[in-house]
Amino acid sequence: MPGSSLQAIQSFEYWPEIGEGTVDTLIMTALSLMFTVLMGLPIGVALFLTSWRQRSERPLIARIQGWTYKTLSLLVNVLRSLPFLILLILLIPASRWLVGTSLGVAGSIPPLVIAAAPFFARLVENLLREVDHGVFEACRALGATTRQTVLWALLPETLTGLLAAITVTAIALIGYSAMSGVIGGGGLGDLAVRYGYQRFNTPVMVTTVAILVVLVQVVQVLGDRLVARLSHRR
Amino acid sequence: MLRTSRFCNRLVTGARLTFLPLTVQASRTVIEIRGVGKTYHTPTGAFQALRGVDLEIAKGEIFGIIGRSGAGKSTLLRMINLLERPSTGRVLVEGTDVTDLDGELLRRLRQRVGIIFQHFNLLNSKTVQENVRLPLRVAGELERPAQDRRVAEMLELVGLARHAVKYPLQLSGGERQRVGIARALANGPHILLCDEATSALDPETTQSILQLLLQINQRLALTIVLITHGMDVIRAVADRVAILDHGTVVESGKVVEVFLNPRNSVTRALLAESGIESEAEVTTDAGDGSQVLRITYHGPLAERPLLTAMSRESGLDFAILQASVGRLKGVPYGRLTIKTPPLEQDGLQRLLQALDAQGIRHEVLR
Repeated sequence: MPGSSLQAIQSFEYWPEIGEGTVDTLIMTALSLMFTVLMGLPIGVALFLTSWRQRSERPLIARIQGWTYKTLSLLVNVLRSLPFLILLILLIPASRWLVGTSLGVAGSIPPLVIAAAPFFARLVENLLREVDHGVFEACRALGATTRQTVLWALLPETLTGLLAAITVTAIALIGYSAMSGVIGGGGLGDLAVRYGYQRFNTPVMVTTVAILVVLVQVVQVLGDRLVARLSHRR
Repeated sequence: MLRTSRFCNRLVTGARLTFLPLTVQASRTVIEIRGVGKTYHTPTGAFQALRGVDLEIAKGEIFGIIGRSGAGKSTLLRMINLLERPSTGRVLVEGTDVTDLDGELLRRLRQRVGIIFQHFNLLNSKTVQENVRLPLRVAGELERPAQDRRVAEMLELVGLARHAVKYPLQLSGGERQRVGIARALANGPHILLCDEATSALDPETTQSILQLLLQINQRLALTIVLITHGMDVIRAVADRVAILDHGTVVESGKVVEVFLNPRNSVTRALLAESGIESEAEVTTDAGDGSQVLRITYHGPLAERPLLTAMSRESGLDFAILQASVGRLKGVPYGRLTIKTPPLEQDGLQRLLQALDAQGIRHEVLR
C-alpha cells in the first residue's frame, strides 16, 4: 500500500544521520577533488614534458628530463599500486600532522588526495600525449615558450578531455571516500559500515548505497553535459 | 687613364642607381643554405636525410622545392626556422647565421619566420580570431586593442572576416588553411614557409590558396619558400625551383627554364607525372631524311612569329607533331615538336644554325 510505505519512509529514524553523511561525502569528495586536480595536473604536465617525445636536443637537459620522468613515474606507480585501505592506514600519522586528525571528514582528505592525484596525473599525461603533434610543432614554430605552449595551447586543446578525466576522478573519489569509513572517516561509507555492517541494519545500508548510486549518476551526467557544451567538434 | 676609368665607374654606378635598384634589391639573398646535411641516428643505423645542400633564396621571390616523399624536402624547409637543426653546414636568414641560435634568440627568429602546414595545425578549441591572436600573444609586443586590430586586418587579408568567431572544425579545408596563413603572417614576418600547404586540399581549393599566396607575395613583398610533390603547384606560383632527390639538389633554376629544358631524369619524371612533359611518341624514322626536332623558347621570343618566319626564310614546311605554349608566371613560353621535310645533312645544319642565331633551343629527336 502506498500510504503505509510513505509512513515507513517518514518514520525511518536514521534520516538525520543519512543527511549528515551525504553532506559529509559531498564535502569530502569536493575538497579532495580540488586538491587532487591541483596536485595531479602539474604532475601530469611534468610527466608529459619529460616524456620521451619531448626530450631536448641538448644532451644534458635530455638526461635531466629522463631522470625526472623516471622518478615521477616510479612515484606515481608506487602510489597507484598500494591498495587504498593500506594507504589509509599508512597515512594516519601524515593526516594527523597535516590536518590535526586522522578521523572524520578532514582526516580522510589527505589519503583521498594521495590516492587519486597519481591516477589523475596519468590521465593528464595521456591526454596531453594525444594532442596532435602538429599543434605542438605550430607553437614551436611561433616561437612560444614551453609555458606558453602548455597554458595557451595544450591545456585548452585538452579541456574537454580534462573535464572527462575530472568526472572519472570524482567518481573514483566517491567510491574511495566510502571506503575511508572503515578507519573512521565521515560520510555515507562510515554510516554504511557502522550501521549496515556492524549492526546488521539493512535499511540504512541499502539507503546509503542507493544515495551513492544517485550521486555517481548525477556527477557523470553533469560531467558529460559540460563536456558536450564545451566541445567545438561539429 | 685613372680619371677615365673613374668616370666610367661613375657612369656605371650612376646607371645602376637609376636603372637597377629594384633588381639589386630583388636579388638580395634572404635565405642562404650552405652545405647543409642532416643525419638521423635510428636503431637500424644512420640515415642521411640531406647531404651537401646549397641554396640561395632571394628577397621577394617564391622559391619551390620539389621532390618525392622521403627526398628530404620537409627536413630542408624546417631548417629555415630551425624546427630541424642541421648536422653539418650553416643556415643564414637575412644575413645572420642562425644555425646555433638557442633560447630567446631562437624564439625571436621563429616569430619572424611564418610557417603553414599541410594539416593546418590549428587549435580546434579556439576560435579563428583566437588562433590568429596566438602569435601576437606569444610575441607580447601589442596591447589587446592593437592585437584586435591586427587580427581583424589579417582575417580581412585572407578573406575570413565573417568567420572570426567560428571554430576551425566548422570551416572547410581551404578556409582552415587561410586561418593558418593569417596566423603565420600576424607578426609581420618577411619569410613564409609552406610545408605541403595545399596537399590536403582539393584542386579547386588548391588554386584559390595558391592565388592567395601569389597575392600576399606581391602585396607584402614576402619571400615564400614552399615544398610540394606536385609540379602543378610549382608551375602556378614559383619563380625558381630546386629539385630534391635522396637528400641532394639535382637541379635548380628558373621555373620556365627547368620546365622547358629539364636536365635531370628525376625532373623529367616529375614533369611527366603531372602531364606537363608528355614524352613525345617519336615516330619511327620515315627513312626519307625527314627530321624531328624539339624546339623550346621563352620570353619575348615566344611572342614572335618564329615558325612562320623560319618556314619562309628556309623555304621549308614544317609539321607540328606536338606543341605546348602558354605562360608561366607571366613569362610566355613555347615547346614544339616539329617534323621537317626530307633534308640533306648540310640543310639540317643550316636550319640549326638559324635556330641558334635566334636563340631558340633545339634538340634533334630523330
